[in-house]
Amino acid sequence: MNLVILPLLLPLVTAVTLLFWGRPSPGRRVLAGASAAGQLAVAGLLLWRVEAGGPLVLPVGNWSAAFGIVLVADLLAAVMVGLSSFTALAAVLYGFAEYRPVVEHPLRLMLIQFLVAGINLAFLTGDLFNLFVAFEVMLIASYALLTLEADDWDVKQAFPYLAVNLVGSTLFLCATGFAYRLFGTLNFAELAVRAAALGDDPRVTALALWLLGVFGLKAGLFPLYWWLPNSYPILPAPLAALFAGMLTKVGVYMLLRMFGTVLPHHLSGLHMLVAWLAGATMIFGVLGALSRNFIRGILSYHILSQIGFMVLAIGLFTELAFAACIFYIIHHIIVKASLFLVGGTAALLNRTDNLDRMGNLWRHAPGLGVLFLLQALSLAGLPPLSGFWGKYLILTEGLRLGEYVLVGLALVASLLTLVSMLKIWNAAFWSGAEDREVCLWDWRWVRMNRVSAGMVLVSLAIGLGAEGVFRVARQAAVQVRDQASYQRAVQAVVTKDQARRP
Amino acid sequence: MQLETALLIGVLFGCATWLVLQSSFVKILFGFILLSNAANLFLLSMSGPPDGRQAPIASAEAGLLVDPLPQALILTAIVIGFGVSAYLVTLLYRLFLDQKTTNAAELFADQDTTERT
Repeated sequence: MNLVILPLLLPLVTAVTLLFWGRPSPGRRVLAGASAAGQLAVAGLLLWRVEAGGPLVLPVGNWSAAFGIVLVADLLAAVMVGLSSFTALAAVLYGFAEYRPVVEHPLRLMLIQFLVAGINLAFLTGDLFNLFVAFEVMLIASYALLTLEADDWDVKQAFPYLAVNLVGSTLFLCATGFAYRLFGTLNFAELAVRAAALGDDPRVTALALWLLGVFGLKAGLFPLYWWLPNSYPILPAPLAALFAGMLTKVGVYMLLRMFGTVLPHHLSGLHMLVAWLAGATMIFGVLGALSRNFIRGILSYHILSQIGFMVLAIGLFTELAFAACIFYIIHHIIVKASLFLVGGTAALLNRTDNLDRMGNLWRHAPGLGVLFLLQALSLAGLPPLSGFWGKYLILTEGLRLGEYVLVGLALVASLLTLVSMLKIWNAAFWSGAEDREVCLWDWRWVRMNRVSAGMVLVSLAIGLGAEGVFRVARQAAVQVRDQASYQRAVQAVVTKDQARRP
Repeated sequence: MQLETALLIGVLFGCATWLVLQSSFVKILFGFILLSNAANLFLLSMSGPPDGRQAPIASAEAGLLVDPLPQALILTAIVIGFGVSAYLVTLLYRLFLDQKTTNAAELFADQDTTERT
């Protein structure tokens, strides 16, 4: 049972150790790398245990579930923790490949560990206020990472990100207070019991709308998405991969958790609203991507468009749609993160990621081109790559429910995704003007390429082994929607004192 | 008590919203500080009307106590809000050193976000 706290404890301990280690050195890197690998192993173990034996619940500080904080690892949470550990490991390794220890910023590795601790806490917590704390840990680490290595131009892009997220956090705090007043508890399981007892009370709808606003803001849902596409491109490539992979997906995960596990299932008007917001997000995101002319900008807008697909699946609100959403999250995190890494390598080779001044990459670095092509086509949704299966499942479910307009929007968005990916392909890889230099002598790109190749292999495995991944996603979806057994698992937790008593 | 608190929260939220929507980053900072205070007050009022209740301190003559949980939540929220405000002030100073202005309209006046150098 104590396994549940390890995904938090490991990054925290590592972060503090790194903070006091001082200057960047190879030894410090070994520690950070080993810790990241260890976290991945722990996440794998957690996933295996949860998959075999059902949700694990840990009452932190030995308080019973009604009063204290509980950590709950059900299958979805375990999958998400695994993904965050994997992405963090890739980001850390890519960072090692990119810079020698002397040039590395001394705080970067430490802040990554804090960020991962916050993300993992958000996935594992079973308590609304603890979730607020997790968001704050995650956001403060992300603010610091965003401005850590920023120059003059970059820093002013960070301010809107901060301002928006600060307002979002305050609204979240108010929503927590509102939920406490309404239900007298903040525990997810208890909230679900008492929300169901209230029936059609409009206050439950108000709370649900409020939470939708808060988590929609974090996920980058239309109309609250404009903070993302200007702030993410200022990050260095490995950090951008971690941010793009994980941060918005925390918002999507929370929407799944709230609508599936906590709030009553009969709020169908609200689910429709979610689905339409998702449709708008898809279209506006992809149009924004077409308007940009540098790789990181295009990819940042694509995050939004893909968020639209996931949230559309949540809005459709059937069990299969939830499974499709979880599958899509798994696919998207790996693909998006690896695309940012590939983009970073391409920018290193061309010394810019402005498409007007890139070129010749296919001629000189075909390996990089293959990696990009695989991931770009996966993002657009070509079979048999992983993106195809996610989109296929969401679209068939949409057709079955008769949501033809939304399905049409999704298809248009997919097509435009392909167009904007081709824009990168044509400009950076295919074009062959003589004056576009490719700095192959910069040996770092080979090692950086190996890291992205590792991620691409995992992504290919998801596409080719889609059936196995989907079985896990299906099981996770069933668990997320099964409020009764979630409540039973949390309420069955006994603290040590209780167990000792006869 | 409840009505007065509600009015105060409303006024605070209103002022904070107005400040956050200004173009000067310094005003946004003050708006955020007001906003977090308004949220804390909102959280406090969630412990219900305090009339006839005692402060939540374990004492010999235990009567009706005010719900202590929102107060515990506020403590955490204050600490977090304080840390974030401190960070925001530092960032604002850095911005001012770099750009010699903290007005969003001037900062973003000649920016084309579709391209980057």
